[in-house]
Amino acid sequence: MNPAVIAQALGKRYSRYHADRPRTIMEAALAGHRRMKAASHFWALRDINFTVAPGQMLGIIGHNGAGKSTLLQLLSGVVRADEGQVQVTGRIGALLDLGASFHPDLTGRENVFVSAIVAGLTRREVMGRFDAIVEFAELEAFIDNPVRTYSTGMQMRLAFAVAIHTEPDVLLVDEFLSVGDGAFQVKCLDRIAHLKANGCAVVLISHNVEQIQQLCDQALWLKQGQVEAYGDPEVVAVRYAGIVDLQAQAKKFRSYSQAVELMEVKLLNSQNVVVAEIQSGDLLKIEIEYQSLQQFQNVIFSVSVSDENGQIYFNTNTSTSALVIPLSVESGKIRLCVDRLDLSGGSYYVNAGIFAPDWSETYDYHWHRHPFQITWTPNEQSMLCPPRRWEIVNSPISLDLTQQK
Amino acid sequence: MYLNKPRSRFQKRQLIYYRDLLRELVVRDLKLLYKRSTLGIAWTLISPLLQLLVFTFVFRSVLLVNIPQYSSFAFSGLLVWTWTQSALFQATGLITGNRSLVRQPGFPITILPIVTVTTGLIHFLLALPILLIFLIVDGVQLNSTFWLLPFLLVLQFVLTVSFAYPLAALNVTFRDTQHTLGVLLQLMFYILPIFYDLNKVPDPYRSLFLLNPMVSLLESYRAILVYGTLPDWRSLLILAILSSILLPIGYRVFKRQSERFVEEI
Repeated sequence: MNPAVIAQALGKRYSRYHADRPRTIMEAALAGHRRMKAASHFWALRDINFTVAPGQMLGIIGHNGAGKSTLLQLLSGVVRADEGQVQVTGRIGALLDLGASFHPDLTGRENVFVSAIVAGLTRREVMGRFDAIVEFAELEAFIDNPVRTYSTGMQMRLAFAVAIHTEPDVLLVDEFLSVGDGAFQVKCLDRIAHLKANGCAVVLISHNVEQIQQLCDQALWLKQGQVEAYGDPEVVAVRYAGIVDLQAQAKKFRSYSQAVELMEVKLLNSQNVVVAEIQSGDLLKIEIEYQSLQQFQNVIFSVSVSDENGQIYFNTNTSTSALVIPLSVESGKIRLCVDRLDLSGGSYYVNAGIFAPDWSETYDYHWHRHPFQITWTPNEQSMLCPPRRWEIVNSPISLDLTQQK
Repeated sequence: MYLNKPRSRFQKRQLIYYRDLLRELVVRDLKLLYKRSTLGIAWTLISPLLQLLVFTFVFRSVLLVNIPQYSSFAFSGLLVWTWTQSALFQATGLITGNRSLVRQPGFPITILPIVTVTTGLIHFLLALPILLIFLIVDGVQLNSTFWLLPFLLVLQFVLTVSFAYPLAALNVTFRDTQHTLGVLLQLMFYILPIFYDLNKVPDPYRSLFLLNPMVSLLESYRAILVYGTLPDWRSLLILAILSSILLPIGYRVFKRQSERFVEEI
């Protein structure tokens, strides 16, 4: 089946104008042509590639100003791309600014007709679906009242009902599922799932990572107008959530119960000397110094290694080794010895935490507070650097090609 | 580049759709006008009638202009000019005033000026019976030239739409276009032979007057309605050629600018 939406090397450039750009004919006549020209340009989106097949849902995540809404406008065709190509097959439905096209002085009935026809239905088609629209919006009793008497929620419901009944081939949704009451949200999601099952391609903007994971078949993470990640929603959403967590961490220093406090986390080499940089494949000891303020039957120490994006590469804790660690009121040290850390080169963090035996409580946790470097010479695009060697099997001459570190 | 491939080519549905869209948007305009005031649609008649009352007083009792069938003469001029004037003024604010329609995917934005001019046409047709009453009161015998009216309506429609397109686009870049246009249209009213006779205009100025396409339109309307004579075919032919040149230019300007509407409003 042909894709419903294809974006190829898509780019959108916006212009910045002089602050005193003429906005009136009089000013333009006085200022002349030169100030009408843009002062500078910037790319709001660049190099965006993706395809959405009929019946698929693509989730778009990213921070404010990452270009998500611009991307939807490019897909809907109301804004022209400066680079690349968009191809959309079939009628486009949009849940963009819901209810903006309603006129407050017209009745619900009149507004349904106007907005459904504006959205692409003929009058006869609207008449055939009118009852279904009103029923879906649960507004049977109010449909002949002017829309200005409706609450915001009622307007949203009506707008959604109209948009969803236009039976689009491609549906563009901009962050709407956060509005309306819970029951209606469920109904909306049901309806979108139904459209999807009937072959409608959906592009959805959401800040809700869980929603992306649950609903979407693909996810696209936009960062400053470029694709940071594109692919499986689980993977993309987890990475994105990691970044969001990390930024939240940077802003506020989270406080835990601190019944046991992490006093110090040290990274040591095989000679028990503190290091900030190791070579790929080296031994690494992580020493945790703690201070307990009360007695415990058992606690869990947890250690992980992650990169700047929050991706966790290695994660272990004392409960997986079935260790029982009772604490009395004292300070002490515990050491995790990793015999080989075979990660490729780069900047990493050691994270450490102390938890209750059933994970119900976090006593203390250090996330991204203990950086270290791993150096690695070969230029290979990989995350792991395990010990390796090539063996040439067919050759009579045995070559020893053991990787030299 | 943007491609939107329809899933199936179905020309007939598309035609029905444009008809329905035009009808729905025109009806919306009329309904809004009707709902906002208690007098409703009657306002579109009351306003030119009041103007006519003042003119009749000023020109018949104060300035003593001697034009036979003055009520019919002035009212026909007023109706024709009101259509173009109000349509152009409203069309200029169309894009800046219809944010949600401009952002609607797949919406044929080029239909908006046509909607405004059509709404004006309907007001014109609603006021036409009043003009007929004036004609009867003034003792004018309607003859077969009356049936040329649709032809003139089409010409005026096309001419007005041709100007409406670039004006609507210009108002997006320069927000004072509508105010400026309001003033210009007001001035234009006085240099059109609406409440005075073109033949009274001194000679060197009269040829300048005739350069204005509205002048030939007004004269043609009066010819077929008030005087029962055939219009000046030569000037109508020029007008038709002019319209067929201006319409594609206006449309292109609007279409090219329309790619930037969403960014600018």
